[in-house]
Amino acid sequence: MFDFILNKYNYWIYIVLMMIGFYAMIGKKNLVKKIIGMNIFQTAIILFFVSTASKKSATLPIIEHSHGHEEHAIQVASYLNPLPHVLMLTAIVVMVSTLGVALAILIKVYRRYNTLEEDEILQFKK
Amino acid sequence: MKILILFTVIVTGMILIYGTQDMPDWGDPNSPASTHVSPRYIKKTMDETATPNAVTSVLADYRGYDTLGETTVIFTAGVSCILILRVRKKRKKNS
Repeated sequence: MFDFILNKYNYWIYIVLMMIGFYAMIGKKNLVKKIIGMNIFQTAIILFFVSTASKKSATLPIIEHSHGHEEHAIQVASYLNPLPHVLMLTAIVVMVSTLGVALAILIKVYRRYNTLEEDEILQFKK
Repeated sequence: MKILILFTVIVTGMILIYGTQDMPDWGDPNSPASTHVSPRYIKKTMDETATPNAVTSVLADYRGYDTLGETTVIFTAGVSCILILRVRKKRKKNS
């Protein structure tokens, strides 16, 4: 049981962060707070993916002494996994795009209804 | 209503924590994510792309089309921001 906590606690941190974002997305009435929750959610997923790349006693995936010493054998275990880093670079781009479009839509909503509270907007529908 | 939402969030979190039993340990060099395809990128990055940084070579060389699509995403987001926020000028008649 103690081993389980020691080996997996990083995932639990991201799950807690993700649930904070999830609560903000479904529980809050203010639309800006919902978007902040969505960003926390995405950040938790990015942290989770980057943590899967980690190896104990490994360094960044930049090959050391690469120029001029081509005969060196490359130890794979001493470099981090580069793929999650690349994929999360893409995910950060998508995150920024969704944030930008969401904030633009919020500006439009505010111009139309003069409020960002969800329940006040829904009253216009009735 | 708040209680229901809090209940949903806590149950989802418990299910996810239950799911971490099957995940590899933190920093395990033999985890599935770092044994299948990533050693090939680390080994071949100097021979094939002459770039010491494996992240750069994967991003811009092996998965260049992915990065091209990424710039398309950014472009689409920018265009849609412009389209959403644009204020149309009313045309003057007789001009």
